[in-house]
Amino acid sequence: MKMDTKTCLFTAVAATTLLLTGCAGQIDNTRGKATVYEDASTTGRVGGVGIESQDIVAVTDEMMRDMLANRMLAGRDIPPRIIIDNEYMRNESSSVVNTNMLTDRLRIELNRASNGRMIFVGREYAAMVQKERDLKRDGAVDGGTIRETAAQAGADYRLAGRITSLDAADRSDGTQSRYSQISFEMVDMELGTIIWSGLYEMRKAGRDDVVYR
Amino acid sequence: MIRTLIAITAATTLLVAGCTSLPSDSTRLEGRTAPVEYNTVVFTDYDLSRTWTQGILGSGQTYRLSVENHGRRRTETGTTEVYAVLRNHTDFDYRIEARTQFFDEDGVPVDAKPVWQRSTIPANSVSAYKTLSTGTQSLQYRVEVRELE
Repeated sequence: MKMDTKTCLFTAVAATTLLLTGCAGQIDNTRGKATVYEDASTTGRVGGVGIESQDIVAVTDEMMRDMLANRMLAGRDIPPRIIIDNEYMRNESSSVVNTNMLTDRLRIELNRASNGRMIFVGREYAAMVQKERDLKRDGAVDGGTIRETAAQAGADYRLAGRITSLDAADRSDGTQSRYSQISFEMVDMELGTIIWSGLYEMRKAGRDDVVYR
Repeated sequence: MIRTLIAITAATTLLVAGCTSLPSDSTRLEGRTAPVEYNTVVFTDYDLSRTWTQGILGSGQTYRLSVENHGRRRTETGTTEVYAVLRNHTDFDYRIEARTQFFDEDGVPVDAKPVWQRSTIPANSVSAYKTLSTGTQSLQYRVEVRELE
């Protein structure tokens, strides 16, 4: 079979056009490989109406930034001593969540970001510290290299908070809705006044077939 | 003859209408290769807003949301507050996520890791996004906005 000149020319032009079209863009706009890892700060493949990783990351990030903009907490010449732990953080909601995740992330992120503008007292480690102090005082171990103090640090402020929720369900199609509220309050440990408050709220709806543990 | 003419006109109109907007997954969108600028608000979700210069009919823009205003100011503790006022041009509420990356004067990324904040922009309305830095040095910002998945 022999092609005439016209057909040859047409085929060549078509092939060149296709080639040029294929080479026109430098961006390969395709999805990457599937993975089991997901970004903790975004909604994952499994999602329900409860408090999830993206909520914990978002709420603690928002509270941290707000605290660092508060003059009484982050603008003092002598940095205040603060306790942030789970002792006074209550979960009164229908969501299953370990409140240590909130207080731990908040304290750690604040401690890193404040860079000395706030001092954090590890009250939950008080027994551990006391044990070491006793060993030093008894002479079982030496005094260490930093300093000696009459007592462990007392706190100026302590964080308290509460998680509450309001549930609703549509029986016709099984859709569930949950309004969740997470409140934080920084309490003056001498006066009992509240010097800072933060509130995070959200409402989620969906077919609640997700199990939280 | 007239029917043929109408059919050709309709087909041409449809073709031209289809070509006036590049799709959000097009690699010819400006946002994909535009240099990173500071003190700006960008839509990283091209379904919400996209601009192009090399479409079949030249340049163009399609948007559902736009940025009305944005800026920064210092807080009383010296941290930086960034705000962006977003406008919804559609008849539907839009749930979005936004985050801010902070850079120092040399363009070096500083501050805590940016976190997506969720918000709703009501139909045909405006809504403000605000965030705060954690550091007290002079900072530049880049706000990224996308639709909530």
